[in-house]
Amino acid sequence: MQLIVNITVLAAIYALLACGYVLIYRVSRVMNMAHGELAMLGAYLLYTTASLFVGHPATAIAAAVVLSLTVGVLVYLLLMRKMTGEMVLAAILTTIAIGILLRGLIVLIWSAAQQHPLQALKFSNPSIELVGGARISTCAALMVAATILVYGGLFAFLRFGRWGVRLRAGGQNPLLAAQRGINLNAIYALAWGLSTLTGSIAGMLIALDSGLDQTMVVIGLKAFAPALVGGLDSLVGALAGAIIVAGAEVLAIHYIDPLLSDVVPFLVLIATLIVRPWGLFGTREELDRV
Amino acid sequence: MLGRTLAAVLAAAALACPAGAQEAYVIGVTGALTGPAAGTNAPPIEGLRLYVDRLNAAGGINGKKIQLTVLDDQGEPSKAAANAKRLLTQDNVSLLVLSSLSSTFAPVIGETKRANVPLMLMGAVCPKEVYPPADLLQFCTTAYAGGYDSRATLAFIKETAKEAVRIGFAAMAIPLSRGEIDYAEEQAKTMGMTPVDKEVIPPPTADYTPFATKLKDANPNWIFSWAPWVTQVKTFEALRRLGWEGDYITWAHIEAEAELARLKDGKFYVIGANSLFQDNLPIHKQIVDEAKKANVRYPAEQMTEGWIGGLVLEVVLKGAGWPADAAKIRAAMENVKVDTQGLRGGPIEWSKDNHFRTRQYYRVYRWDPAKSTVTVTKDWVAYDVK
Amino acid sequence: MSRQPRASGYFRTGYEQDLALIGTRLERRSLGVFVIALLAFPLIASPFQLDLACQVFLACVGSLSLMLLTGYAGQISLGHAGLIAAGAFTVGILFRETNAPFWITLPAAALVGALLGIIFGLPSLRLRGLYLAVSTLALHFVVIYLGGEYESRRGFSTGIVIDPPRLGSVSISDGRAWYFILLAAAAATLLICLNLLRARTGRAWRAIRAHETVAEALGIGIAGYKLLAFVISSAVTAVAGALFAYYRGFVSVEAFSLFLTIQYLAMVIIGGMGSLLGALLGATFVTIFPYIIETGLLALPGAQRYASLLFAVNYAAFGLVMILFLIFEPLGLVGIWRRIQSYFLLWPFKHRAASGSRR
Repeated sequence: MQLIVNITVLAAIYALLACGYVLIYRVSRVMNMAHGELAMLGAYLLYTTASLFVGHPATAIAAAVVLSLTVGVLVYLLLMRKMTGEMVLAAILTTIAIGILLRGLIVLIWSAAQQHPLQALKFSNPSIELVGGARISTCAALMVAATILVYGGLFAFLRFGRWGVRLRAGGQNPLLAAQRGINLNAIYALAWGLSTLTGSIAGMLIALDSGLDQTMVVIGLKAFAPALVGGLDSLVGALAGAIIVAGAEVLAIHYIDPLLSDVVPFLVLIATLIVRPWGLFGTREELDRV
Repeated sequence: MLGRTLAAVLAAAALACPAGAQEAYVIGVTGALTGPAAGTNAPPIEGLRLYVDRLNAAGGINGKKIQLTVLDDQGEPSKAAANAKRLLTQDNVSLLVLSSLSSTFAPVIGETKRANVPLMLMGAVCPKEVYPPADLLQFCTTAYAGGYDSRATLAFIKETAKEAVRIGFAAMAIPLSRGEIDYAEEQAKTMGMTPVDKEVIPPPTADYTPFATKLKDANPNWIFSWAPWVTQVKTFEALRRLGWEGDYITWAHIEAEAELARLKDGKFYVIGANSLFQDNLPIHKQIVDEAKKANVRYPAEQMTEGWIGGLVLEVVLKGAGWPADAAKIRAAMENVKVDTQGLRGGPIEWSKDNHFRTRQYYRVYRWDPAKSTVTVTKDWVAYDVK
Repeated sequence: MSRQPRASGYFRTGYEQDLALIGTRLERRSLGVFVIALLAFPLIASPFQLDLACQVFLACVGSLSLMLLTGYAGQISLGHAGLIAAGAFTVGILFRETNAPFWITLPAAALVGALLGIIFGLPSLRLRGLYLAVSTLALHFVVIYLGGEYESRRGFSTGIVIDPPRLGSVSISDGRAWYFILLAAAAATLLICLNLLRARTGRAWRAIRAHETVAEALGIGIAGYKLLAFVISSAVTAVAGALFAYYRGFVSVEAFSLFLTIQYLAMVIIGGMGSLLGALLGATFVTIFPYIIETGLLALPGAQRYASLLFAVNYAAFGLVMILFLIFEPLGLVGIWRRIQSYFLLWPFKHRAASGSRR
């Protein structure tokens, strides 16, 4: 039973991070390799706002959320917009470079020591007893809840919201969408903002659960595998991929060898790329549209 | 024409002379000032700098100042090797100090061997070569030591446990941590304890819960972890979240003191060779004052290793006299007795064969929920180093 | 062959002259001066600068191979550090297990690199662009994991120490000796790359990169040439790794992180895609960059306090420079170089002559 809980929590982490990758890729065909760093930035922003708004945790969280949304939009407007039309490698490298820059800035501003936003917010993280003797910490439970909410919200938004429909249109056929009067820059900025937002939520919850330090970048990289396994342009795929990869990882740790935990997501990734490169739910043309 | 030649000659001469060629002891330091290993390895270097600045302000040793050249290697072996090469061949240091990850040891030791300059490890874990019979050029002041740490911890557990010990182990997936935990497991068996599970956790892990789950499922009542602090504490927190109620003992890295106060768990023990600042000895007060004056970037309680390094350095240089080259300093290091003034359980003594210390002292601390403070659970126990 | 203006007129009468590497007297002379400067450098350099130069040459070998793969054949590979690690570990393993001398370990490293190249290259037959990059990234992690496992299982807790290579009874450990060896290695790699590119293989790669479908329609065997690109590039990279292992005398898995791959990619991009000169310039720039930052930072007042921030500043500056190059100078350092060159060659004109006289 505890295993199932562990898988669920890890899948929630991966799913929240993976939907960020999917959002940007689906709308603008760019692979955002800086997602891990942006998530980490969101967590550090929470730490700062928590220290600023001592005693008002709700304000702190709200402020951090708004700030991370702004950061995402700014990253697009200032940097990624100039890279439209360039070759794939250049775009990937730009995001990698942004990630490196962010990592350096974070250490410069906040130092590399481990921080504890949970204490700054004066929350506590008691563990909840579940059915079958399994236990889950409050923050992990919040993470699962957040994932469900975020995904539900995104599905609803993309299907029914006006801007959501525009996002999907821009992703399907940018030229046609532009000619229909959709402001491509606006929807790309929105996609980046939303992606950073979801990533930051994931980062904040991870930081609240187990402390904040530089290792979150690695989690961001590992979350890339579920996004690809499910199909880079499919939200449903991201969810499915997260469950598969998380399940594989936890089971491998438990039954085979704990040291595999680093490598299992990538092994699943390789297997997917061999068998079905465009992911479980991705669209086939993605392969050639490079 | 003549003017230009003269100017060129003067410029060449100015460049050829080392800038500020005063007479001073030239000591080189390479360490993980930044990067993932900085948490444990950067504060000792700051502590050393603090001590040396204080010495220099008071007039230096034997009337000469100490010139400390500090380079950052970010915990990477190639950078450490490059730093070592630069310090040894370009700056001509007579002593090299290393405070970085164990993976940097081999290349740096290679460089110091080639240059025949002694190497002092301070803040980095002591390699086996400093135990007797010791390697000619390697010396170590760091608190933790492979082998003895496990023995002391297991002895403490055996003494404190009220029932039969079922012991679990947690290591990080780096060779030194694994090696030590493997050794501890062997030792535990000979001491009548039952090892029930051993977890080896890869360094950058998102969630420690799966590993903690495996540990908890084996149902130990004691768990010993010897790894970098992040693994030790995160495993513990994950275990507590899962509802495990047993006793957890782990190595007192420099982060330990602040973390004990944060965790506030009465069954979380740290064992270490350094005394914690909550003891409030005169030496602790002195270090806190100096740190405040110098506006050091790290908390004062993390300065211990560096301060001890400074104490040893002072004794060594006094013994070497002036002028002192690498050979004289090395000779002086073979005959050292340093009073640690309470920072450790006893003096540090180096001899020709023993570059570690003759006796290693351990103390156990934990947070006392009743008194809401950190307390000494077991006072200094000495182990002879053979 | 290039659209770069030349100092001389067009006097070629045969294909050999077209393919020749050095055409004009100016080129011959500047090359001669450059070679003499390179050979004379060890006489005046400090050991630290020698070490820096050796690092630059090692980086050149790696970046030339990556340029072949990515700049010319158009196959994105994020697994570069894994290949370097493979070469280094081959040397380490062979040395530790069998005490093999360098004339066995270096070819062995090349062989291992070639084999890994086939593995890394197989996805390229089905995938392109992003997906190919990701598959190479995944393979990188697998290689690193295997290296780490070897290290722990065989008890090399702090890495594998390798003795300097021996020629008979002479062991090569002097800084100057290494300088010349690595200079020779870099020069050899450059020549290999130049020759590959001037031949049929190079043309096939350029065609594949420009438009794969058309290349296939022209009769170029895509699969074979893609795999060949991976194999050759990986073999050279593995040899670079092997040289790195011997030079440092030490192999440990921590040195081969994803950041190393990013550094090599930065060398290729900052240098300028599709140009071997770009690979060299990029390698020099990226290797020397941290030291420039360090010197700059230490020249500020209150230097020693900032020493602890050095890593973060390096990181941030590196990312910033990459972004600036990617956004503002997509042609890279080579683009800057060519602009400077054409400024002098065309002076007092600003542009090449209009169409009509083709150069």
